Amino acid sequence: MSAGPADPQRRLADNPFYVLGLRPECGRLDVEREGQKLLGMLELGLKSAASYMTPLGPQPRSADKVRAAMAELRSPDRRLLHEFWALLPPKPEPPRPQPPPKPEHDLEPFAGAFAAHGWKRP
Amino acid sequence: MSSQNLVYVGIDLGTTNSTAAVFDGDKVTLVRNAQGSPITPSVVRIDARGNLSVGARARRFLESDPDNTRGEFKRLMGTAQALRFPASGAEKRPEELAAEVLRSLRKDIEDQLGFVPARAVISVPALFELPQSSATSEAARLAGFERVELLQEPIASALAAGWTIVDSSGSWLVYDLGGGTFDVSLLETRDGLLRVVGHDGDNFLGGRDFDWAIVDWALGEIERAEAVKLSRSDSAHAATIRRIKLAAEEAKIELSRVEQTSMAIAGLKVGDRSFDLDLALDRATLERLCSPAIERSLAVCRRLLAAHGVPDGGLTRVVMVGGPSVMPVVRRYVSAALGVPPTEGLDPMTLVAQGAAIYAATAGLEARPAALEPLRGCKLWLQYPAMSSDLTPHVVGRLVDRGASGSAVATELRLTRADGLWDSPWISLDEEGAFVAAVSLLARRPNVFRVEGKNATGGAVVIDPPTLTIVQGLTISDPPLSRTIGVATAGDDVRVYFERGAPLPARRTFTLQTVETVAKGSKESLIKIPIVQGEYDAAHLCRLVGALEISGAELRQTMPSGTELELTIELDRGGRMSARALVPGSGQVFEHVAHLLVPEAAPEVLDAQLVAIRGRLGELRTDAFRRGLAGVIDKLGKVEAALVDLALDVGAAKGGDADAAQKARRSLIELDATLESVELDRRWPELEKEAREAVVYATIVIHEHGLAHEQSLFAETARAVEKARMGRDPLELQRQLRLLNRLAYAAGSRDPEVWKRRFEHAAVDIGNTTDPAKAQTLVKEGREALARGDGEALRRVVQKLWQLSPGDPEQRRLGYDSGVR
Repeated sequence: MSAGPADPQRRLADNPFYVLGLRPECGRLDVEREGQKLLGMLELGLKSAASYMTPLGPQPRSADKVRAAMAELRSPDRRLLHEFWALLPPKPEPPRPQPPPKPEHDLEPFAGAFAAHGWKRP
Repeated sequence: MSSQNLVYVGIDLGTTNSTAAVFDGDKVTLVRNAQGSPITPSVVRIDARGNLSVGARARRFLESDPDNTRGEFKRLMGTAQALRFPASGAEKRPEELAAEVLRSLRKDIEDQLGFVPARAVISVPALFELPQSSATSEAARLAGFERVELLQEPIASALAAGWTIVDSSGSWLVYDLGGGTFDVSLLETRDGLLRVVGHDGDNFLGGRDFDWAIVDWALGEIERAEAVKLSRSDSAHAATIRRIKLAAEEAKIELSRVEQTSMAIAGLKVGDRSFDLDLALDRATLERLCSPAIERSLAVCRRLLAAHGVPDGGLTRVVMVGGPSVMPVVRRYVSAALGVPPTEGLDPMTLVAQGAAIYAATAGLEARPAALEPLRGCKLWLQYPAMSSDLTPHVVGRLVDRGASGSAVATELRLTRADGLWDSPWISLDEEGAFVAAVSLLARRPNVFRVEGKNATGGAVVIDPPTLTIVQGLTISDPPLSRTIGVATAGDDVRVYFERGAPLPARRTFTLQTVETVAKGSKESLIKIPIVQGEYDAAHLCRLVGALEISGAELRQTMPSGTELELTIELDRGGRMSARALVPGSGQVFEHVAHLLVPEAAPEVLDAQLVAIRGRLGELRTDAFRRGLAGVIDKLGKVEAALVDLALDVGAAKGGDADAAQKARRSLIELDATLESVELDRRWPELEKEAREAVVYATIVIHEHGLAHEQSLFAETARAVEKARMGRDPLELQRQLRLLNRLAYAAGSRDPEVWKRRFEHAAVDIGNTTDPAKAQTLVKEGREALARGDGEALRRVVQKLWQLSPGDPEQRRLGYDSGVR
């Protein structure tokens, strides 16, 4: 018996590494740890676990998907295949921001000021 | 809650014997029954007054009152076969008898622990089919368990062994030879996580086959010495043969310790004759009698290792489980064949129950009934692994009452390990009232953590629950499905829902189309959706495990042929299945309609199938001899040998042995599949030619019309076709060809010329459609679309015409009369 060939878009969107929020370099233990954490968060209905990023944009995450992803990455042969598909960074290239308007005065803060205060610049 | 309070219960519900064990997060203890033994025979007796007894007390009557004393009913689980107790007039289904054994074990646990366990893990053979698993769950429910999970026996054995052995990494083989079933599993342990790599087995190979081999030998000896011919297919001889079988079983067990024993029974009766049996049986004879069955088990082991590419000497250890595996001859054969001695120091009789209890901890299935305590303090909803192989797992939590405010509500939390040597920092709850924290565990023991809370002003808040416990040790990943599950279609194909090895639980929905019209209100018209389990492309080679039926009488509106049905199949962690069909057109839902029963095995049908299979074997053998195909002749020789056993079982089925009938039914399907593979072998040159042509056609079509992803999938599939061709694997080649053809079909569908050809082909056959009038109208529409060059309309017409095709009746019959495609 056999299943049909999967749609490549789906294959990319459902890549186990993206589902678990991991990169292909991660260890086997990371898969278990992250999977178990996500399953717990999904069980509690936490918003932060409800979706994950892929090169095709955010995708909904479910407990079924997490369990399937963990199972795929436990098998060394199958993991290899997914490693290839997960080489793309999970976040899509953000649209190039418009150049900021020229400041009307010279009080531009120094480059590292925001980071030094714990802010992330867009 | 403290670690001392945690209790996890595991039960090995065996064919011959059953065992219960409890795990407290630290050690496993076997539960002793009223007789002081950890082993309870799976035997139930109902006497003339209706009194019911279970276990050793019942087993004593197996010989003297066999009609009212029943054992080995596990082999009939999932069938509709009710077992009669004539003295009391009672009639019990196999799951009701299993429930009696479970009830007895539950009482023993209560006596030992002081409370009635509400939850437990029950082990089942890895290759149990869905109806059998479902019947086991039903037995647990009848016995009063609130919740149970089923666990495959080899996983249980490996978990128990892994808990005991300090260095457990590497590849393992669990060789589980029970009374009636043989399971072999390949497992792998890395980083404290146990993974099932693959299963194989024989649902009808076990210690009982050794017993029957001894019985058949004894019958030969009796015929020689007493000139009395006893037959297993003669119901008049059943009582005498039962006595001989009990003696055979005892002699077999005895020969595990001594070199020679005797089978002695006084006053055996055959018709008017009475005689005493006194046969000497030594180890060498026993070995000769048992070796075919042992070899069968070893062939299964080799097949499993080869399927997963484990080289000779690639195993780290072999764990042997089940009563018959203590036989020295079995251990010697296994050791010699697999190149690694069986692991010593593990009790093969109780290992499964021990593992089931450990698994209950992994699954967080505490045995104690939930106490209905009033809420106190700030209630948290916590998620954490009850058992973890990870030394730093996560604990996730959320306030139950997120809307609450005030000094009794925690805004920060801290987790402190009970030994005081580790604590987390204070963690602020986020806007959802939730937190995620990694905790540090001490290896191979229960770790208790105190949960402390602080409110917004820094005051202490009592948290409910005040503690949580995580046991560190070897854990098992989600249990994998042991056999592929799918829906049989009218074309004798299988629409796969879950592949073998898929993690459980799982749920999947596919859209299917009905083959013929079902009229509203008509009791006669029916759509049958057969659910099958097995690894073959052809539905008839897989086993039917349930059927979902939608009768016209239930319909709110008539369903024309080609109506879409959304069929969802769901499996829980124990492999129990539920199915649900939705008709999107009418919004009608059909639920719980899967009838999970092992099909009946009527002796007359078995007989007819046996004759048919003999005929097919004869044809294939003649052909193989003519072509001089040594490999095929060898394969057919094995089928022929299996037919001897099969004939014995069919004979016993005629004598009223329902178990033998079920065994024969399964053997017939397996032999049929073997002959099918021989036919595929024979067709190899044609298949190779077909593969070459398919690759050429697909290369052209996909090159011209395929999208980028189809081209990359094509490259992948073409490589797989070549690999199967080089490896001369007809089944795999056939599977890959299907994929290739599907890809070529999808790409080819973008070519307007292809649709013209498909239309002409479909238009020729309108007389045979399920609705010729509608088909005629469609052909007219198609001609008009052709004339105006409207390719899209033509495609729609062709697809509608296909939906009106009734399919090949023979293929439909083979596909278990499926009403969908």
